[in-house]
Amino acid sequence: MKALALCLLAWAAHRAPRAEPVIYRLDPEHSFVWFEVLHFGTSTLRGRFGGLQGYVELDRSAQSGFVSLQLKPAGVDTGLPAFDARLRESDLLASEAWPVATFTASRFHFEGADVNAVHGQLTLRGISQPLELRALRFGCHVHPQLQREACGGDFEGELNRADFGASFGMPFVANQVRLRVQVEGIRQP
Amino acid sequence: MRHLLAAATLGLALAAPASATTYAIDPTHTFVTYEIGHFGTSTNRGRFDKKEGTVQFDRAAKTGKVEISFDLNAISTGVAMLDKHLQSADFFDTAKHPNARFVGDKFSFSGDKVTQVAGTLTMLGKTAPVTLKANNFNCYINPMLRREVCGGDFQTTLKRSQWGMNWGLESGVPDEVRLLIQVEAIKQ
Repeated sequence: MKALALCLLAWAAHRAPRAEPVIYRLDPEHSFVWFEVLHFGTSTLRGRFGGLQGYVELDRSAQSGFVSLQLKPAGVDTGLPAFDARLRESDLLASEAWPVATFTASRFHFEGADVNAVHGQLTLRGISQPLELRALRFGCHVHPQLQREACGGDFEGELNRADFGASFGMPFVANQVRLRVQVEGIRQP
Repeated sequence: MRHLLAAATLGLALAAPASATTYAIDPTHTFVTYEIGHFGTSTNRGRFDKKEGTVQFDRAAKTGKVEISFDLNAISTGVAMLDKHLQSADFFDTAKHPNARFVGDKFSFSGDKVTQVAGTLTMLGKTAPVTLKANNFNCYINPMLRREVCGGDFQTTLKRSQWGMNWGLESGVPDEVRLLIQVEAIKQ
């Protein structure tokens, strides 16, 4: 019963008019970037970056937002330690010389109250290039343990790794890399 | 005598059915990733890292059989606590059922490319039908191995409750789970 009351309270807070913008801090348990790249025109290699840090500022009534996030490319996880080590080398992620990759964006597109695309800059290997991330879905819910609003979704976008100087293995491993981003942020008080 | 042997060999060769070629699953290019919705917000993904299997494949006869098994203790979501929960009796119950096994023996083709593989998936001691649809399929000569490699990307959506994996259904954890399958297999 207490849980239900808490839920209703959180729901009411979620529906009530609020001071905007709202800041959401990324929830590292529900925020990952996966890459996908075609291998010999045959099958898709996938790898995961976890440990995302950062925040999103959203003003849903003004339909504006800002995101700043960082990740450590050295933490790449493909399920194959030998492949992870190869990816960290200087002709791919160069994670020793460039230990942090960042994404910042201030151009948010909305459909109603929901974010449907974000245009920003990805910085990888010290090189910044524009990146568009499109929302496949976007939503908010009440985090069951924290009883706070969590918003997020699934985003995807494409980049050419050669634009960042990570060109080893082309053309057997494709130039085009698809990013699939799962992200949730917890509303900050 | 020599002629007789030659004739016998020829006879054997003619009598033998066009045999399927065996391919061994390449574990470095074979992964299953699951996707399940999380509170209607984002997608939770996890990967199964340890597997083994073989494929019998006859491109001319357009037939094949694949057998692959996954060690469910090697699940990897990037969140250690979630991995443990998934291994528990709430989900895969790996103490009792350490492996999942897919056997596919109904290959569909378009030209010489595989378009889908139908078969059965056994998990939690239950076997149910599953059809994997190909998004990509191709064979190539791997320049390092100097051998033919065939593979592709397959996907399917299943309902976990079919295997009795019901945890959280009542509180809104989805029943539908999407599987993304990367597979490559090396000609033996």
